[in-house]
Amino acid sequence: MSPQPSSTNPNSLKIQLAYQFLHNLNNLNSKRSNLATTHIRQRSNRVKIAAYASMAYVVGSRRAWSRAILRTIRNRRMLARNKRVDHKITHRPRSAKRRNPKRDYVDPNGNSGQEVKLRKLVPGVEKMDACGLLDETADYIKYLKTQVEVMKNLVDLYSTI
Amino acid sequence: MENEGNGNCSIFGMGIEGSEMNCFFNTNSMDQKDLFESALSSIVSSPSNSHHAVQFPCVGVGGGGESIVLRELIGRLGSICNSSEINGNNSSNNSCYNTPLNSPPKVVNMSITGHHQFPVDPSRFSTFGGKNELSHVIESGKLSRVSSNQSFKKMNKLSMELDESSVSETETGTGNGIGVKGQSNNANGRKRKVVAKGKGKETNAKDDKVVTEVEKEESDAKRSKSNEEKKSNEKSTEPPKDYIHVRARRGQATDSHSLAERVRREKISERMKFLQDLVPGCNKVTGKAVMLDEIINYVQSLQRQVEFLSMKLATVNPRMDASMEALLSKDMFQPQVSMPNIANPFDTSAQSFPYGFQSQLNGMVPDRPENQFSMNPLMAAMHRNSVIKPPHIDGFIEASTLWENDLQSVVKMALGQDQSQGFLGQMKVEL
Repeated sequence: MSPQPSSTNPNSLKIQLAYQFLHNLNNLNSKRSNLATTHIRQRSNRVKIAAYASMAYVVGSRRAWSRAILRTIRNRRMLARNKRVDHKITHRPRSAKRRNPKRDYVDPNGNSGQEVKLRKLVPGVEKMDACGLLDETADYIKYLKTQVEVMKNLVDLYSTI
Repeated sequence: MENEGNGNCSIFGMGIEGSEMNCFFNTNSMDQKDLFESALSSIVSSPSNSHHAVQFPCVGVGGGGESIVLRELIGRLGSICNSSEINGNNSSNNSCYNTPLNSPPKVVNMSITGHHQFPVDPSRFSTFGGKNELSHVIESGKLSRVSSNQSFKKMNKLSMELDESSVSETETGTGNGIGVKGQSNNANGRKRKVVAKGKGKETNAKDDKVVTEVEKEESDAKRSKSNEEKKSNEKSTEPPKDYIHVRARRGQATDSHSLAERVRREKISERMKFLQDLVPGCNKVTGKAVMLDEIINYVQSLQRQVEFLSMKLATVNPRMDASMEALLSKDMFQPQVSMPNIANPFDTSAQSFPYGFQSQLNGMVPDRPENQFSMNPLMAAMHRNSVIKPPHIDGFIEASTLWENDLQSVVKMALGQDQSQGFLGQMKVEL
């Protein structure tokens, strides 16, 4: 998506993410109903979706997690378009933050509880092997970090104005 | 050496008394005398009470350091034999011999308990291969001891497991019927011959080969004992898998499956290291499980942060439409560093598409709201821009330094106005 995927440079990555994020935010909000009337939660949810979407857009289809996110977004949009709001997707577009209390639970596959947890956290790694899982996790963490920074800056900016 | 409760000694399982060892030594393997001699001498020098016979440690046959035990045993045997207490030894020997026979289950506990059961059955000796004469045994005991020692040593080293005992068994010769053999045999599943060896000298249950040799002379009576001893040896030998396991490892390494496993494990560890760098505070943590925990926590915390920040953004910026658009356009211009209307601090590459882009953006955005995500006009514009002027990418980097300032200015401008169309015009005003 980005003209030059210079994701190795954190600054450029940040900028790309920022652009994407703002763009998505804008689109998201403009599409939706009147901001003033929407509930704060809906708005925050939209922002959150925009954040994840921007992350995924910057990465494109290179990563499994970004592909999963894009897929979810498109599904969402399709469903919304079809007037069939699937709340499951809408409200949990990406990672389900389920707190699994059983850590030592072992899957039938022999996966420990931790691996399962990780799979639930990172989108799109359900069926990957452990090696790829770690790879995707690393990439996901990197983009998440940058996204969080971008958002922090934005919040600061907005709050100072 | 008392039987240090070494399960290993199970080979002797029965607390092979030194005297018993003599029996073992009565083997054919005289060729190894040399080795054994040396060993024997060392053993002899070792603290040897003539009473060892009773207390021979389980000769660690079963376990690590059994070689030492063996040596001691041998030494003791030697001393015993050498001493004039042959008779006494004999009796003890006999007893030793008997013990194993009598108490096969002792194998596990090498503690030389055998001695108390020496029914002294000289006839037994004979079973060992027809060399029952104690004297004979004793005479050859030394030699055999050496050999057996060696064999024992080997056994200890080679196979804490019963398998190895075969060596000792061979050493001990058929006559020894050392329980070792029996053990090894049993270990190997060849329970046949161990009998004779069953004396409780379960030298590491060595291979069948040894067993076979011994078998010939062993009596069936011993077999059972040796078998049992073997089993005990097996048990004893299993724990001390110090040096024996090399075999297993080597075997594993050569296996294609294990090789692949190894490669896979290395890859995973490599990724884990990379993750360690990513996740803050993971440098001190070692171990996959803890690392995974940390990673999971970190990902969760990051996601929570995103959620929280999005809520904050939603509250802080209620008017996201215009501001977002403005921001977008402003940001769009940034990479190009061409925002003539805006006091853009980056004027690096005067790429002024602002108007065009903005109109494009604005036009595109409302026209195809549904395709926003897929279209990504911003990105398209950026792409175009970049295509036209690759150097603009540098602008990104430059922009990054002034990111905050620029963004701030953009936001200010954006907030200042309500309409996206008039954005440009008002930007000047705002700044």
